[in-house]
Amino acid sequence: MYFQKKRCVAMLLAGGQGSRLKVLTENTAKPAVPFGGKYRIIDFPLSNCVNSGIDTVGILTQYQPLELNEYIGNGMPWGLNKSHCCAQVLPPYERHDKKSGWYKGTANAIYQNLAFIDRYDPEYVLVLSGDHIYKMDYAAMIDYHERTGADCTIAVRDVPMAEASRFGIMNTREDGTIYEFEEKPKQPKSTNASMGIYVFKWKVLREYLIRDEDDPNSDNDFGKNIIPNLLNDGHKLMAYNFQGYWKDVGTIDSLWEANMDLLGKEPAFQIRGDEKRKIYARNNAHPSSYVDAGAVIRNSFIAEGSEIYGTVRHSIISTGCRIGAGALVEDSVIMPGVTIEPNAIVRHAILGEDSIIHRGAVVGGTFAKNEKRKISVTAKSTEIAANDVLQPGEMR
Amino acid sequence: MSVMGIIIANACDGYMGELTNKRTMASLPFGGRYRQIDFMLSNMTTSGIRHIGIISRNNFQSLMAHIGAGEEWDLELGEGGLEYLTPYSQAESVTAFRGKMDSLYSVLEYMKYGVQDDYVVLADAGILCNIDLDAVLDDHIASGKDITVVMKSGVANGKKIIDLGVKLDKNGAIADMVSGAAATEDYLSTLYLYVVSKDLLVRHVRDAIAHNLFSFERDFVLRLHQQGKLSVNVYPFEGVALFTTSVQEYFKSNLAILDEKVRNDLFAGKHPIYTKVRDRVPSYYGEDCRVENCTVADGCFLEGSVKDSVLFRQVSIARGAVVEDSMIMNDTVVGADCYLKCVILDKNVVVRPGTKLIGTPTTPVIIKRGEVV
Repeated sequence: MYFQKKRCVAMLLAGGQGSRLKVLTENTAKPAVPFGGKYRIIDFPLSNCVNSGIDTVGILTQYQPLELNEYIGNGMPWGLNKSHCCAQVLPPYERHDKKSGWYKGTANAIYQNLAFIDRYDPEYVLVLSGDHIYKMDYAAMIDYHERTGADCTIAVRDVPMAEASRFGIMNTREDGTIYEFEEKPKQPKSTNASMGIYVFKWKVLREYLIRDEDDPNSDNDFGKNIIPNLLNDGHKLMAYNFQGYWKDVGTIDSLWEANMDLLGKEPAFQIRGDEKRKIYARNNAHPSSYVDAGAVIRNSFIAEGSEIYGTVRHSIISTGCRIGAGALVEDSVIMPGVTIEPNAIVRHAILGEDSIIHRGAVVGGTFAKNEKRKISVTAKSTEIAANDVLQPGEMR
Repeated sequence: MSVMGIIIANACDGYMGELTNKRTMASLPFGGRYRQIDFMLSNMTTSGIRHIGIISRNNFQSLMAHIGAGEEWDLELGEGGLEYLTPYSQAESVTAFRGKMDSLYSVLEYMKYGVQDDYVVLADAGILCNIDLDAVLDDHIASGKDITVVMKSGVANGKKIIDLGVKLDKNGAIADMVSGAAATEDYLSTLYLYVVSKDLLVRHVRDAIAHNLFSFERDFVLRLHQQGKLSVNVYPFEGVALFTTSVQEYFKSNLAILDEKVRNDLFAGKHPIYTKVRDRVPSYYGEDCRVENCTVADGCFLEGSVKDSVLFRQVSIARGAVVEDSMIMNDTVVGADCYLKCVILDKNVVVRPGTKLIGTPTTPVIIKRGEVV
């Protein structure tokens, strides 16, 4: 069989449980969590790939993959269903030797799929995470990687010194070469936080993955093992500075914040416009949304297939939702297919797909400016009974 | 049993003025995010018809750009799938098709030598409804008649000219059939949706053209029925069916989707209506916008006031603008402090700040695609 040689193959790590998203990832993988009204988290790295001219993407799945697999399907929404470009779902599998089993770590997941990458004989491999919201031109990063002749290039962003101890920090020389990597340092020496986006020379990575697999003490993890090993052996590692919006949506709070960042006349994350950086999503055939004469909508996103009869302020209403007359939705993320019945009140909440908030129920609350926000969350298909209360910060 | 679909794309182009200057009836935008043909295509494909020909005489560029290989309708198939039946024979009927029989004659070879099908479902792209064609086919076969005509009551009103009208007696048998007449309210009107065996259709198309007869409804159905040579089964359709045979009707049918019953019947009925995916972001509603009784497609940016209107994809309404009783197509921009009432803004129109455009429900102001006013 003929396989077209590729300059770069992308490997998207989509197998993590995302346990910090609590009830939202009980039955679905984190990359399949809905975002921004009509997207799922994985749409961002996948669309970035397509927009960067990368047309071969391996998607490594493990945890609760049903919805994710279904969503990716044959890759058609991203134009990855052609003879020589693909979105290939790669689950763990059984092999003849003892190396089979679940993916033990991020590096092991790639190791188990050496054969997939080898088919395309790429110069470079791009390793991505399935839990970040951002628009990025990977092609510019790969060009930089090629120009500097590095064996590995790691995308970094500048974070405030006060927050640096929460990230993996890359300490660099003036020319951008990395001399040290510190995972969540207590006393950070710099503010270059790793974004979990790596470009490798495939030959080099291949060798290190095989060596890592042979090391019984390894965690088989990029951050803990592969990157430190490359540094110790004197390979050239470059930091690639990314400026622009990027958010790890691994927690309830950050998922809520990233959704809110879409709102406003000049939003923190501008998803509108720029055809070349468009985010693609699988579409369900919803009609236009309907806004009733009695509806009030302020500073909000409303996706197709929704019907609004009540009041919506500073919120994201996803596809196929229904907000009843007299209902109030404020500062909330309403995921696809949710029904909020008349006179229910929803504030500072994330409502999971197909949840039903019955008449007069109250979800969440309001917070003073200096008070810590507590987001109320419902899992997929949860019902809150009529006049029932879901407290601020409560999950059901 | 195997069924092929044929959709006539150009049936009423001539009556739609500027709106069909550069497109077919089939590709005329409808209901915020659709093209008219989406309805019949979705009706056919969701009923399992996997072999569909679209007859288009001219202006088919926008139609092909919209449907492409038919991916969204699952028509990207190795066997069957979608065929564009564009005019290729310059020798015959060089100008517009004189009638549906003429259109069908030009694709006779396709019908004869294509995938072997037993039945043909023939439809006009300009009729908008969500219909279960499986039920129509079953009814046709059970009836044992030569042709089934899908018909609707409430269309004939004594004024509108009906291409094919039927009055049924108490037993449901055909008491009278008319064509090209302003039939009274007790007549059912054709939805231009027919089921007929392919062999019979091919035979009669040949025969009609040989006799210089072109009208499907008048020269084929009515004439042969009257001669006792064609048995006709009437399938009454109870759901919502919208017509768009004139600008006035087109405007009215678009605004009709503001009615919840119409919306539910068309979009939440038997099956979804598929259309080309454009990947627009969800619509943004600004701090001071007022939106009342409107349908809004994705990608809009709303800061002004919109009432009783249909907004297509990626429409911008600037602060201070007031839009009422209007339909605004894709990518159109309405500037600040405009006042628009009863207007049809085609795609990519720019309305400069402060502009006033006022039409009436029967004669809406129409702004052509790409114009700046």
